[in-house]
Amino acid sequence: MITAETLVEVGTLPSYAPLLLLLPLAGFAFTAAVGRRLGKLAHLVPLAAIVATWAMAMSLAIPALTGGLGEAGASMPLFTWIASGDLSFGLGLHVDALTGALLLVVTTVGALVHLYSVGYMSHDDSYWRFFAYLNLFMFSMLLLVLADNLLVVFAAWELVGLSSYLLIGFWYTKTAPGLAAKKAFITNRVGDVGFALGLMGLVVVFGSLDIHTVLAGVEAGALAGPAATVIALLIFCGAVGKSAQFPLHVWLPDAMEGPTPVSALIHAATMVNAGVYLVARMSPLFAASHDAMLIVAAIGIFTAIFAASIAFTQTDIKRVLAFSTLSQLGYMFAALGVGAWIPAIFHLITHGFFKGLLFLGSGSVIHAVDGEQEMTKMGGLWRKIPITYATMLIGTVAIAGLPPLAGFWSKDEILGEAFKFGFTWVWLVGMVVAGMTAFYMFRLMGLTFWGKSRVHDESHVHESPWTMTVPLIILAVPSIAIGAALGFPFANGVLVNGLEPIFHSASTMLEHEHEAWTLFGIDGLLMLASVTVASVGTVIGVRLFRSDSNEFLSSVTKRLQPLYDGSRNRWYFDDLNDLVFVRFGRKVADALWWFDRRVVDGTVNGVATLTSSGGRGLRQIQTGRVQNYALGIAFGLAAIAAAYLVIAG
Amino acid sequence: MPLPDVIPFIGLGWSDVLFLLLGGVVLAAAFGVVFGRDIIKSGLFLILTLGALAGIYVMLGAAIVAGAQVLVYIGAISVLILFAIMLTQSKVAPVKLAFQTQVAPAALAAVLLAVLFGLAFGSTDWKSTVFTDTPAATGTAPVAAALFGPYLLAFEIASVLILAAVIGGLYLAMEPKADDVGEELP
Amino acid sequence: MSQIAGHLEPYLVLSGMLFAIGSFGFLARRNAISMLMSIELMLNAVNLAALALGAFIPSLAGQGAAFALLIIAVAAAEATVGLAIVIAIFRNRKTPLVDEYDTMRQ
Repeated sequence: MITAETLVEVGTLPSYAPLLLLLPLAGFAFTAAVGRRLGKLAHLVPLAAIVATWAMAMSLAIPALTGGLGEAGASMPLFTWIASGDLSFGLGLHVDALTGALLLVVTTVGALVHLYSVGYMSHDDSYWRFFAYLNLFMFSMLLLVLADNLLVVFAAWELVGLSSYLLIGFWYTKTAPGLAAKKAFITNRVGDVGFALGLMGLVVVFGSLDIHTVLAGVEAGALAGPAATVIALLIFCGAVGKSAQFPLHVWLPDAMEGPTPVSALIHAATMVNAGVYLVARMSPLFAASHDAMLIVAAIGIFTAIFAASIAFTQTDIKRVLAFSTLSQLGYMFAALGVGAWIPAIFHLITHGFFKGLLFLGSGSVIHAVDGEQEMTKMGGLWRKIPITYATMLIGTVAIAGLPPLAGFWSKDEILGEAFKFGFTWVWLVGMVVAGMTAFYMFRLMGLTFWGKSRVHDESHVHESPWTMTVPLIILAVPSIAIGAALGFPFANGVLVNGLEPIFHSASTMLEHEHEAWTLFGIDGLLMLASVTVASVGTVIGVRLFRSDSNEFLSSVTKRLQPLYDGSRNRWYFDDLNDLVFVRFGRKVADALWWFDRRVVDGTVNGVATLTSSGGRGLRQIQTGRVQNYALGIAFGLAAIAAAYLVIAG
Repeated sequence: MPLPDVIPFIGLGWSDVLFLLLGGVVLAAAFGVVFGRDIIKSGLFLILTLGALAGIYVMLGAAIVAGAQVLVYIGAISVLILFAIMLTQSKVAPVKLAFQTQVAPAALAAVLLAVLFGLAFGSTDWKSTVFTDTPAATGTAPVAAALFGPYLLAFEIASVLILAAVIGGLYLAMEPKADDVGEELP
Repeated sequence: MSQIAGHLEPYLVLSGMLFAIGSFGFLARRNAISMLMSIELMLNAVNLAALALGAFIPSLAGQGAAFALLIIAVAAAEATVGLAIVIAIFRNRKTPLVDEYDTMRQ
């Protein structure tokens, strides 16, 4: 058992810190209990709770990011949760720069989604249930981010999965949401098995799941070699499930069955980032194993290009955004895998804002066309819903990585560091994906907003209420500015300085040197390359989809028909799952059932039959006649006498 | 003319001949009891067996036991048995098969028992405790001394037992009263 | 002197054979009263054995005879009760054959 002997001085959190968890929890409890009776006012308490939480979180996150809380952050131990023999797991809060970054995204987007839902869900009968679940989710996510013990993180992990299940299947009276919710939960569970095994491994090595203890132990060298690889990869399994990386990505596109605010909050800005947070938090553990890092990077970048290739052909507006999320998450894991810790977190923040914006914007579009989600039935909407159009355009430019919007800063850092650390293949694939991203996002804009209108009932198209457009406008601001705010000047920005102490040990273990940033050297060239690729993708996308379908597009599609179909069908991965697990699994289950019926039950029944027929046979001895019994006595007597004679001489 | 000590031609003494004669009668009559078709015949053969046995008892010097045998066994028990045969004669009883279906195993058991007895008696070393001579008549005195000495309790209990048996037998064999339709036991 | 009647073994052998015959009759006859008669044979075989031992073993001088007398008394009691039972059953079943007394069969 390794105890942390060298602890950097950790500060203490202000006493209102537990309110960060208690307010959303109270909001959930209150709304769950009495929300039904409040009707259209059910949002007041949850919304107020979340706004208050946001304020408190900002008061902690901003000092954390700017170094106000000290290098090791501040913590507040609360109580011991489980104490059993040698093992003890406590619940406590811990805030450092990494936590601050997550808090920033989670609470801001969370609060805006709550406001947005007031307008979006106003026609729904279960209005109160939605807000109850939203608050439950916020509680779970904050617990995950603030906890200082991995067991609590795991518990919050599961709670977040539960909230996701409840929210995806919100309209449970329809078949598709129910199935999608189950798929999400089950796929998550598959990853969680690995996560749990990894945690058990940590308990075996360190005897504790306290994050400080574990990381200090890893930095001291207590865990290395194959053991480190195995445990790191097991923990990565959980991240693969929660952040929907290949091959556990299948649940995220289906999760779009949930209401759009849910997609924005959970499947773009917060829950799917939990995996990225986990790997970042355990960075020394991953840095201890080069093989694990390689696998993380490989899976990440593969998911990026895999998802981007599917996004090319999807026609449901939310599905395009879902695959886009998968792709950007792949970027983040690729960054983590090559050792570019800070760019990964940077991208997490920027992506949270502009993907949230895009999803909420798509929700506004869907609201405008009365629930239609197929882009083939949209078009020419830019005049009718200008605010939505403008904000979505901002989001699209951000995600495409065109400077000076937010996406450029974080994406460029990822690609730059990948190249500089020697992972040229990651850089190359990343470049291709950047171009693809720009292309399909502008395809989305084109099909939705430009060209001729293919809408069913044009006169009915209307802009959304202020509760929906205000969050869009608010989110547009960080989409434009947060990149520069956090990332400028390069290699010396706010975020870099804030996060550097956190990842210091991991970077040291990887022996990464920090070279000076040179605008007219390698860094400038890389920046130019990424901007070029993004611009090329943008131009192609805009030109092809600016007006209605042209012959060039259809001829290309026809010539590449197999690729088109494959992409359309998500490269048949869901069908593969169905074949292997559902159909084949069914056959295996049938075989086992046959075995259970015939062999196992047969044996049990056979024993019973044997006993009863044996009894029936033995019953013949009981004739009821005295002479038969006397005969038995006579033979017995003879036997005893003979035995006596033999033994006694 | 006095009888010769040893019978000529056979070379056996008188007691031996007497013993063989009586023993043969005993065994033959026993076979008659067991194998007799008609049950009355079996009863009569029983009487013959008991009588021959009484003779052997006299040879062993226990005249009083022989007397008791004749009085009790032949005079009371055998008569009792004959009465019972009379009372239980049944018209439907088949005359043909007198033996059970398990007659073969029964014979086997009997033969086994006989063999075992033979082995047991043969392999015991009697010499040290037994004197070999024709037993003299012991008279009644030692018997009485034994009965009223160590065996007094057994003697008294035997009398109680007989009393109980008489009462029990009376009760069991009583005709049920006319107004007692199916006795209810408490 | 007497070669047979003066030794113990012949009496015991006779007793054993009588007992075997009695037990065969007890196990093989169908009539209940035949069974009782066979029981009497067996008891008499025991009597003979007791008397023989009492006569040939000096230390058991009067005891063999006393034992035999007591056996006769017990046999009488047993015959009484046994026959009473047979008569009682005969009244119910109308048959003296023991293989018909099988209501306790399984």
